[in-house]
Amino acid sequence: MFDEEKLTGWSLPAEWSPQPVTGLPEAVRVCRRIADTMNAESFSLQFLSPQGESRRLAPVFDSDFPGVSFLSKALSARDAGAFARQIAQSTVPLWWRPAGGSPFPSAGARCWADEIENPTESDTCGIAFPVSLEHGRSGVIAFAGDSIVIDEVGLCDVHARCFALFGEVAKQRLEDCAKALPVSKREIECLRLTASGMTSEDIASSLGLSVHTANQYLTNSTHKLNAVNRIHAVAKALRSGLID
Amino acid sequence: MTQAAPIQTTQDAPGPVTSRAGLARFMRRTCSEICADLYMLVEPSVERGPKSVRIITSNWIFDALEDLGTEGIAAVIESGNATGPGMQPRAIVTAEATFLSSEERRALRDHGHAELYCQKLDAGGTRIFALFSGETRHGINAAALARAHMACCYALNQFFTATGSRASRDPLSERERECLAWVSQGKTTDEVAVILGVSSNTVNSYVAHAIQKFGASNRAMAIATAIRSGII
Repeated sequence: MFDEEKLTGWSLPAEWSPQPVTGLPEAVRVCRRIADTMNAESFSLQFLSPQGESRRLAPVFDSDFPGVSFLSKALSARDAGAFARQIAQSTVPLWWRPAGGSPFPSAGARCWADEIENPTESDTCGIAFPVSLEHGRSGVIAFAGDSIVIDEVGLCDVHARCFALFGEVAKQRLEDCAKALPVSKREIECLRLTASGMTSEDIASSLGLSVHTANQYLTNSTHKLNAVNRIHAVAKALRSGLID
Repeated sequence: MTQAAPIQTTQDAPGPVTSRAGLARFMRRTCSEICADLYMLVEPSVERGPKSVRIITSNWIFDALEDLGTEGIAAVIESGNATGPGMQPRAIVTAEATFLSSEERRALRDHGHAELYCQKLDAGGTRIFALFSGETRHGINAAALARAHMACCYALNQFFTATGSRASRDPLSERERECLAWVSQGKTTDEVAVILGVSSNTVNSYVAHAIQKFGASNRAMAIATAIRSGII
């Protein structure tokens, strides 16, 4: 159904080709290459916590890997809630400059990106790209440096590559979680059907099980997912990508 | 057609997208940059049931509805061919799209839609899709489209921020959303009542309204729909 040869006609830029990331050190290298394209010195990738009221960012890695950089600390600090909210609300890149500094993105890039108050305490320019996946997993990749240059095409390129990298990092996390959660195929199937609105009775008849067995599968998966009830288990399974 | 043509948006910098007309202008320019003929911005409409969509803007409305109907459009965006930002765009060859009925395929062919691209746009957690149609196979510049994808996301974000239409787009009231969010954390009705400082009956009625708005059959399905559409 898909036209593979199509992409030989219009080839994507080489640096765009999907790069499977097999571990955090490699993700750090990919991120450094992205930082290099705009001359940024430091970077930080953070997950946004899904908790409703108090939005918080949690660093995954940064340019000081395996340490923690000033950028990560500043953006995930307790009083950086405003920054986290901005990340949650919109996909538009956010940039900042020290007091008295001149704007570093080109006029074309400034047309899309919003200037915000410097969320860090240092006198450095920076730019943050909100990223997200389906099912609510979202976060940000931020870059800082005194000589960042970025134009409109660069903005789109860097942001798209941030999305791709974030997807890889999140997938990696999921695989690690899935290994830690040995939920069986049958249990996943029961969770999936529950999410589509079926009762234990419906599930039993559609999978050819007894109602008792269907309930048992759901109880087991609830325990394995460390959830307190069925609805919680369904929500956790959806958010972690166990079911879609 | 071997070179990836960079998008030329810097020359005629459009200024922020602040209105529906501005969004339409931006989409038209994007079409010409990626060599697409027509565009459509749609969102799955949870209030209207699982197989329906709402068209935000399009220069293709009449014959799209005639060709596909909202169910056909929903089939395209749910077909697994939609790609997100940073992903390789994927051509849907309409003549071979098995998820469409043979009438829909014929209608698309007769109206000159040989290939479609479906891009998942990100605007602060909402699910919006951009459909681009090309009259000939290989006509749309996929590399330029990959670049233009982010710009489409930005334009949509600006549009929602400027018009405030995102708030009304959310089918749930703030209280209903809050209740669902707590229920999805495993809280019982009584616990949610304590957290929000209202009675259990009130919580139940908020949840019941949410279930009704989603056309869901129970709590679990309402939670799943809300998570899938990024509301909680």
